[in-house]
Amino acid sequence: MEVEKIKGLKFAKKQDVAIVGAGMTTWKRRLNETGKELSYIAVKQALEEAGLTIDDIEMVVMGSAPDTFDGLHMKGEYLLDGSGGSDRPYMRVFVGGGTGVFAPIAGYWHVASGLADVCLVVCEEKMSSCHPHPQSGFKGIWDPILERPLTPNLIWIFALEMRRYMHVHNIKHEDIALVSVKNKRNALDHPCAQVAEKITVEDVLNSEPMALPVRRLDVSPPSDGAAALIMVAPHIARQLTDEPVWVDGVGWALDTTMWTNRDLYFPRYVAEAAKMAYKMAHITDPKKQIDVAEPYDPFDYKELHHMEGLGLARKGEAPILTKEGVTARDGDLPTCPSGGLLGVGNPIAATMGVKACELYWQLAYRAGKRQVAKEVTTGVCQAWGDLMQVGTVMVMSNKR
Amino acid sequence: MVFNEKIVNPTELRHWEGKIELYWVYTSGSAGDEFFKALKKGKFIAAKCKECGKVYFPPRIYCEYDFSETEYVNISGEGTVRAFTVARLDKDEKPLEKPEIYAIIDLDGTDGCIVHLLNAKPEDVYVGMRVKPVLKAKNKREGRITDILYYKPS
Repeated sequence: MEVEKIKGLKFAKKQDVAIVGAGMTTWKRRLNETGKELSYIAVKQALEEAGLTIDDIEMVVMGSAPDTFDGLHMKGEYLLDGSGGSDRPYMRVFVGGGTGVFAPIAGYWHVASGLADVCLVVCEEKMSSCHPHPQSGFKGIWDPILERPLTPNLIWIFALEMRRYMHVHNIKHEDIALVSVKNKRNALDHPCAQVAEKITVEDVLNSEPMALPVRRLDVSPPSDGAAALIMVAPHIARQLTDEPVWVDGVGWALDTTMWTNRDLYFPRYVAEAAKMAYKMAHITDPKKQIDVAEPYDPFDYKELHHMEGLGLARKGEAPILTKEGVTARDGDLPTCPSGGLLGVGNPIAATMGVKACELYWQLAYRAGKRQVAKEVTTGVCQAWGDLMQVGTVMVMSNKR
Repeated sequence: MVFNEKIVNPTELRHWEGKIELYWVYTSGSAGDEFFKALKKGKFIAAKCKECGKVYFPPRIYCEYDFSETEYVNISGEGTVRAFTVARLDKDEKPLEKPEIYAIIDLDGTDGCIVHLLNAKPEDVYVGMRVKPVLKAKNKREGRITDILYYKPS
């Protein structure tokens, strides 16, 4: 049973929020650089793009997912000096994989509230430290009595979700595999990409079975990397650029932790978060009003799932749109033009680089070879995480 | 159950044991690699900010205050005790056979410090004491912080 709800939105902002610069490191399975060094490299790029120096930064938000990956407790504090956080108000936020959009949401609070006029958002993840496999770091998220004795892993719980999605809408694996084909190809144009390649649907269907229906090429890889974004008040934005990108709406929501009790075929957490963000951004018909989208795509079915949660497709319609080429970079609704997690990589929180940063680059017409063919005004990015339960959404626009 | 009941042994309750087996492989990064390569050769390096001139120890590729690049500079590794403690119990609260002295040492020619063991008599140590590092024999060095055996009065 599904209940439709629109939560009341009580909200008064002090000032608008613009994005004026972004940066990211290369993403790889293993990097020699420390998390601090990765953060520094991403911040340096964002500062250069914005035309600012570190002295201009008033507050810093750090996004990084579980301490388990880097193997350092209080990872936020550890990363501080490479993130430009020394001697400033600094906070770390994390909601697992949802952090890539949640961190810029926290940056938005800093500026919209008037507490800061210039806020730096940095996201970092170094998953290669964690052994025997970064996947092992997820062992602690399960209920220790009901679930952990069954030795669950993330691949098989997502396989359950994918199976349910395929069953309810009668979707074929080959239609889902098209997402992986599209995103890995898009990533060929991304200088930071880890697993960009030209593959076919057959390659996906014949790749190594992991937990069926999930096969190797349905999944994004673990990665090391960092990304940064600079959010400023309108009067600062006007000094720096004629064409800032504005944050029009933010939203986040968490579904129940009892994941076994969810319907699995529809991401309610994304739908709730999107309702909040759309309400703030005055978007009533996302299918018409959104020009470009960066939904979270750690698995190929997840992009489809999230498009439906974001209201960019009716339930069960996302695979059809993909098949028709609507979501291609030159389509009517370019989706994951960056190459996404499937093509560029999945350094959990640092996926901000292909979600919020990419959306900013697209709307600022700074995406280079990845720039979508159509004219773009408004876009949405989204991330997802925790125990497959959090949706984080941000709407941006280049018009005011 | 009442809340003032004292449970001394939780395994007397119905319980499940949990264990998460994880281990980590840390990299020392660009600056860390340079530092340990030098240390293996018996040399100490720090990193100087090209902008403000602040000298960082341990070396790093960036200045944390103005976000400029740094360049490596050679230092002696010798320094002055800034603070010290005389540990008499180990981490399990067992008395140590011999007290261990841990010191924060201001390194000459840098704005940074190193924390390390100090091999001296507790009664002789004082803040401001001049000290120098003692390294493992060259063929025993592995490029780790423990290649420095300890500091001693100079």
